[in-house]
Amino acid sequence: MSAPAAITVENLARTYQGGYQALKGVTFSVAAGEFAAIMGPSGCGKSTLLNILGLLDRPTGGTYRLEGALTAGLGDAELTALRRARIGFVFQAFNLLPRLSALENVALPMAYAGAAVAPRLERARALLDRVGLGRKGEHTPLQLSGGERQRVGIARALANKPALLLADEPTGNLDSTSSAEILALFKELNAEGTTIVLVTHDPAIGASAQRVLRVKDGLLA
Amino acid sequence: MNAREALRAGVREISANKFRSALSFTAVSVGVASLLYTLAQTQGMKQALERNLELMGPGRMTIEKKRDYVSKGLSGGLTYADAVALRRELPDLYMVDPRSSYSLTVHYGGRKLEGVDVAGTTPDFRKRDWVYTLRGRFLNEWDVANRARVAVLVQPAGWVKKPFWAKFWGREDDYDKFAARVDVLGQRVRIVDSVYTVVGVLTPPPRDLDPRWDSWSTPNAFVPITAFQQTFGKGDASADLVDEIRVETGDERTLAARRRQIEAILKRRHRGEEDFEIKDQREEIESEMENMRKYVKAGLALGIVALLAGGIGIMNVTLATIFARVREIGVRRAIGAGRDDILAQFLLEAAMLGAAGGLAGVGLGLGGVKWLSGLGGTRDLAQPTVLHCLGVVALASAVSAGFALVPAWRASRLDPVEALKAE
Repeated sequence: MSAPAAITVENLARTYQGGYQALKGVTFSVAAGEFAAIMGPSGCGKSTLLNILGLLDRPTGGTYRLEGALTAGLGDAELTALRRARIGFVFQAFNLLPRLSALENVALPMAYAGAAVAPRLERARALLDRVGLGRKGEHTPLQLSGGERQRVGIARALANKPALLLADEPTGNLDSTSSAEILALFKELNAEGTTIVLVTHDPAIGASAQRVLRVKDGLLA
Repeated sequence: MNAREALRAGVREISANKFRSALSFTAVSVGVASLLYTLAQTQGMKQALERNLELMGPGRMTIEKKRDYVSKGLSGGLTYADAVALRRELPDLYMVDPRSSYSLTVHYGGRKLEGVDVAGTTPDFRKRDWVYTLRGRFLNEWDVANRARVAVLVQPAGWVKKPFWAKFWGREDDYDKFAARVDVLGQRVRIVDSVYTVVGVLTPPPRDLDPRWDSWSTPNAFVPITAFQQTFGKGDASADLVDEIRVETGDERTLAARRRQIEAILKRRHRGEEDFEIKDQREEIESEMENMRKYVKAGLALGIVALLAGGIGIMNVTLATIFARVREIGVRRAIGAGRDDILAQFLLEAAMLGAAGGLAGVGLGLGGVKWLSGLGGTRDLAQPTVLHCLGVVALASAVSAGFALVPAWRASRLDPVEALKAE
């Protein structure tokens, strides 16, 4: 393999203060362009794993390489820069900022990356077009349906052209029709080359993934 | 994120929490208004002091009869002769101006004016506190030497903008009404039963612009002190008495020495009786200024306390805002905001809240100062300068941002994972 794997984790562990072990040593890798689903019962450590992959949390043991580079020892500012540039987050509860329009929500990560206003808004419009919401840029999240909000969320996650799209139960709050649409969108994005790792309970999504990582009690099953 | 966007986001957050924001900036605005008022007063006092001291001269003092002094019968009291002696013995005194005044009746063309304040004085009167415009001429040495029956009348001062209390207190007496209507320059008037020729008319500046400390005590008419004593004196030994002698050394450094010399001369002339007192007017004004400075300090303290209270209010609001937006902070961190972005966001919101409060306070303060000036009686209130206004607004935002520093810093240190779980 010429390109490094998008994600390489070895013996990854996360022990919380008080001794609770959310992850007890997980080893796997996700190749660039792969579509992987993390599945498992509630409380098994899926979300902890996703947070570590998204550089929001740090492992207490083991190593995590993002695109071949070791993330241990990086400071908060470096992790933030890396997260901003290489990772897009999609949330179960969408987590759009309620006072910003759809367009502004999508443009926000680019603002944090320091892009100028005009190109930022241009790209945000293109992204909203891409997720099929080109006409709803001025709407606030409250004026959008659940499925639409999640599309905005995905567009926002793509804002800084991330190498890795992480999604935490992206269809958990959606009806089956919307879920199917969101899943189709993920598949398209994956087909265009985006690496996707998502946590899900939805067997349909699991079935669409190229690979399913099953987590149980902090270990890969 | 550029400044304009950040500002717009701030405005959006502030207006989304109107009540909370209004509460916190009320205190800030009161503080700012109070500071502004205090600044205006300080500025006004400084200007008034400077103008006064300039007009008054550097070495001014006033010799008066000592109050409640019972004479042992040795002294003839404070007299015109004392003034002449002072001028003779201390020729380097810049001004020696004896003055007496009575409230007298003036007749002109069949009109009888009661209670006209007539003062006997000398040409030295012109040397200090001269704020008048003169038509005709003022009294001269010849008039005094020859007891000339000449008078200089004073026009009523009037107002540029009449304060409301002047309607009740600013009594316009017979003389004022008369002098405002009739031009008597060159005419003869009868004061009690002596005929005087009006050789000059003085017009003082409008009352609200009069820089003098004691502008209210301007007499209605001036005549030579010698003629005054001859025509209005009682014709006995007390005829030579004067109310006061205004002295100016011309130099602040000689003030103390001259004062001692004057004391010695008068004591000798009064046969050891110390029936006079020498008042240093500068001292009086400066002590009054000192008193006012204390009030100003109190105002300053009040403003700062209110501003600090406002700052604490803003700290509270920032805490509440952050508490309500923990999840938002998590989301922002997840999509790429650094700690510094979060810190900057909340500091900026607080600073804007402070600036809004500051602007409201400037409005309040300017309105208040204008209103107070309109009431009159506060001629020592300068209009706040643009610099003052900008300064207090900047101070208000700085104080607010300062108080928001701790909550905002804590917000920036939130664990993004925990923050995302909030709510």
